[in-house]
Amino acid sequence: MRWLQILTASVIPFTALAAKKPFGDRFNDYRAKSLSSGPLKLDDQAYAQLTKAPRDYSVAVLLTALETRFGCTLCREFQPEWELLGKSWLKGDKNAESRLLYGTLDFVDGKNTFQALMLQTAPILLFFHPTVGPNAKLDSQPAKFEFTGGPQSAEQIHKWVSRQLPADVPKPVVQRPINYIKIVSVTTAILGVITLFAVAAPYLVPILQNRNLWAAFSLIAVLLFTSGHMFNHIRKVPYVSGDGKGGISYFAGGFSNQFGLESQIVAAIYGVLSFATISLALKVPRIADPRAQQFAVFLWSGVVLCMYSFLLSVFRMKNGGYTFWLPPF
Amino acid sequence: MAGTEGDQFLKQATGRNTRGMLRVIILCLIAGAAVSSRLFSVIRFESIIHEFDPWFNFRATKYLVQNGFYSFWDWFDDRTWHPLGRVTGGTLYPGLMVTSGVIYHLLRFLALPVDIRNICVLLAPGFSGLTALATYLLTSEMVTSPSAGLLAAAFMGITPGYISRSVAGSYDNEAIAIFLLVFTFFLWIKAVKNGSVFWGALTALFYGYMVSAWGGYVFITNLLPLHAFVLICMGRYSPRLYVSYTSWYALGTLASMQIPFVGFLPIRSSEHMSALGVFGLLQVVGFVEFVRTQLPSKQFQTLLRALVLIIFLVSFGGLVILTLSGVIAPWTGRFYSLWDTGYAKIHIPIIASVSEHQPTAWPAFFFDLSMMIWLFPAGVYLCFRSLTDEQVFIVIYSVLASYFAGVMVRLMLTLTPIVCVASAIAFSQILDTYLDAEMPKLEMKENGTSEPAKVAATAILPDGLRSTRSPLIGVYSYASKLTVVGASAVYLMLFVLHCTWVTSNAYSSPSVVLASRLPDGSQHIIDDYREAYYWLRQNTPDNAKIMSWWDYGYQIGGMADRPTLVDNNTWNNTHIATVGKAMSSREEVSYPIMRQHEVDYVLVVFGGLLGYSGDDINKFLWMVRIAEGIWPDEVKERDFFTARGEYRVDDEATLTMKNSLMYKMSYYNYNALFPAGQAQDRVRGARLPAEGPQLSTIEEAFTSENWIIRIYKVKDLDNFGRDHQSAGAFDKGHKKKRASKRKGARVLRVE
Repeated sequence: MRWLQILTASVIPFTALAAKKPFGDRFNDYRAKSLSSGPLKLDDQAYAQLTKAPRDYSVAVLLTALETRFGCTLCREFQPEWELLGKSWLKGDKNAESRLLYGTLDFVDGKNTFQALMLQTAPILLFFHPTVGPNAKLDSQPAKFEFTGGPQSAEQIHKWVSRQLPADVPKPVVQRPINYIKIVSVTTAILGVITLFAVAAPYLVPILQNRNLWAAFSLIAVLLFTSGHMFNHIRKVPYVSGDGKGGISYFAGGFSNQFGLESQIVAAIYGVLSFATISLALKVPRIADPRAQQFAVFLWSGVVLCMYSFLLSVFRMKNGGYTFWLPPF
Repeated sequence: MAGTEGDQFLKQATGRNTRGMLRVIILCLIAGAAVSSRLFSVIRFESIIHEFDPWFNFRATKYLVQNGFYSFWDWFDDRTWHPLGRVTGGTLYPGLMVTSGVIYHLLRFLALPVDIRNICVLLAPGFSGLTALATYLLTSEMVTSPSAGLLAAAFMGITPGYISRSVAGSYDNEAIAIFLLVFTFFLWIKAVKNGSVFWGALTALFYGYMVSAWGGYVFITNLLPLHAFVLICMGRYSPRLYVSYTSWYALGTLASMQIPFVGFLPIRSSEHMSALGVFGLLQVVGFVEFVRTQLPSKQFQTLLRALVLIIFLVSFGGLVILTLSGVIAPWTGRFYSLWDTGYAKIHIPIIASVSEHQPTAWPAFFFDLSMMIWLFPAGVYLCFRSLTDEQVFIVIYSVLASYFAGVMVRLMLTLTPIVCVASAIAFSQILDTYLDAEMPKLEMKENGTSEPAKVAATAILPDGLRSTRSPLIGVYSYASKLTVVGASAVYLMLFVLHCTWVTSNAYSSPSVVLASRLPDGSQHIIDDYREAYYWLRQNTPDNAKIMSWWDYGYQIGGMADRPTLVDNNTWNNTHIATVGKAMSSREEVSYPIMRQHEVDYVLVVFGGLLGYSGDDINKFLWMVRIAEGIWPDEVKERDFFTARGEYRVDDEATLTMKNSLMYKMSYYNYNALFPAGQAQDRVRGARLPAEGPQLSTIEEAFTSENWIIRIYKVKDLDNFGRDHQSAGAFDKGHKKKRASKRKGARVLRVE
């Protein structure tokens, strides 16, 4: 290792003296180009030139496939973030102390590069360390970032890029442009809602004070939450799934597992049971006709029995060891 | 309505005293049932502390009893989080330990020398009896029906949703916290109803006790202000509300600040800001109400109302600005992840990794609440009938707690009390209606004449519920009554059966001791955990540091009494990630880490032989993830998955997986148990590679009977200064490979 250190040490004053070194020029050229446009748009030739072996700067190249026919949604989703990162880096690093260039190589412009690197997937982010200069790395292979974790934000990539750079180099933070349109539209919307409320208050207030409305609202909320809606929301479970024989299986196997439709069925069961209970408790004793009342009692009791029995049978399906049951099902 | 009828009916039959007597007896029986249904585990196994966290609480209680209150308050524990230590006295909720300590000293004072362990084991069942009583009181405040309270108490006593955290031996904060939660709510309702400073102060007192017992006190801190806020929005501001809320808030906040762990949080963190905000709002509203009574001009009143609104908005904006500028701490991760449900998974894997922080699927609701899950909405609906101040509370509590229970399995515990109360209201309404022996008379027919005007009036201004518009008549036939009452009795019995079955099967296992059934049906106890912990206690020096995943930290501290690196109080993520890195890296990387932390023994849990699925290989990915959060370049989750994205342990496992310390420790020598090439992992159903992993920097020290716990000793540095790999190779007789053969003339060595 010693000889390498000596070599690099001997190179440093040399680079400083000879201002017209070929690769020093290359960095400034490309930087000047990227100043106007954000990350450089590369093709095969430019890519090869930019990443040529003796270089005293680092390059981060995103290999991507933006055209719609490739069907790479991840590439398209990530592109604005990538450009934002490149631009804010350029802006924050005015004196080019980090000696880092950003480039984008689209598959359309760089088929040969993709073949040479034997890439099957896109996007991929490559980071080329400098090969000469104070921050040079021995390993000539570029560091690779694979987008296995789904779409990344500019901040996450910024973190990864910063880790590749030495500690003493400035790392300008990502600055998102202020979205004036959003601010204005939100303000307008809020003001609009307030105005609407002020104008329509005589009509809205009775609705807002309606007890039935609030009762319905609370009951729906309770039923939704107790039937596992939040589970669907957080785990992003499928709505239904096939049973492998061409049919649909409504209930997922396993105790801590469910489908979207399943939780809706369960919510409906709970809803029917609750409604029957309410009817028995409040409505039936208010029926004036004895015969109608008798009929209502039998009807609602039957509904409760059937539904509860069905619920128990569904639960037995979910939990194999459960032994309790009620007559019909 | 129905309740008063029932009252009259009872009055005719029996006197007031008899009814009171009956009520006391019933409550005592309910408390007895609540306690006894929690004793399954003591009877089946023994009087033992369960799970993980209770072991820490037990250890802390022992410390409190031995060293006294003040040294407990200042306790610095150097036997956990080695080498950092933990300021235990200032970072725990002391309510539970102090409660047991007081009971212990009280019993000794009465000349009953009960072992502290038995007090700890039986504390949760004991308090569950009190919870049943508190539920009775709370429900009785809500409705006039005398049976609702007793039903609610019975429900609360045996519902699995509460039993899950309060069986004998589960000596956790929730054991007393649920009682305090329900009782605080009862006192609050009482205070709001009476508008008395006395009840408000009592609420504050029990709120303070709750704060000292459980981090879930934040639920009360936000629910009471929300109740007050909704009442104000409904135009139900009253001096009663003002008095009760202000006295609770002022005294309760002072009380909560006495706990070192809480300290100044009540005025500096977002979780507590709603309480402060409503306190301020109440002052403004109170002032405006006062002025309004003096100046009854119409314009002036509109002006005042606008003033309240503006002050509210301005102070809300101020709060937001203070939060953004960092004066007020934003929501902590644990609470924030309740709202933004994807937050924890991305930013705090350590929270997402805990199984009780997962969202709840519907079977869990039914499992824990059974029949009550569908009585619950009906009960909430009944509250809308007259919608008094306290019934508003039920509605708010139900909606909020349902949401929380849906997001986190663990918060089912806060939902359970209100489910019991609401379903008891619904059930008692049915029973009161159909158990009434009196027959309504058939003379209500003339009601039809005055209908049209009434119907029109209610259609324009519906002040009640749709279902209660027509007048109450009653139930005519005995057949109807018998049907409904009979079905209710059957459902109640089914409920009891369900609760007993769930308690006995799901919630009564100590998880320290595992039970299995032999082919002949007899019970077989698997006691590997204690076997291993006692081995550590008896065979290792007193200050031997044990490295294990954080799940087992409290148990090692409690049962083996040895210092640990990390434990279940996950206060230092980096330290946990360090352990994760040591477990998931190659031996050459792990060894320096273990030397730096002075680790003497490493403990892993391995279920492959027995088919015990809660072992470390199944938890391994969380170790990797948490380590990756700190060292993204050195530990990568991707490397533990095969090219096809599978997590495997057999021949096709990735090289990183096979070389990781955790894999090696789990499967070291495992194939010696089987005929050659037949080694089988029964948890993951995988056939293991024919050649097992080799260890060089650590050596096997102990493996328990069923291989659940494996303990390895970290080797000391080699005597000759070699690295362990080459030392191991030398011992096996392999020749040392030289990189390049030295050539040249032999030279005589001269000193």
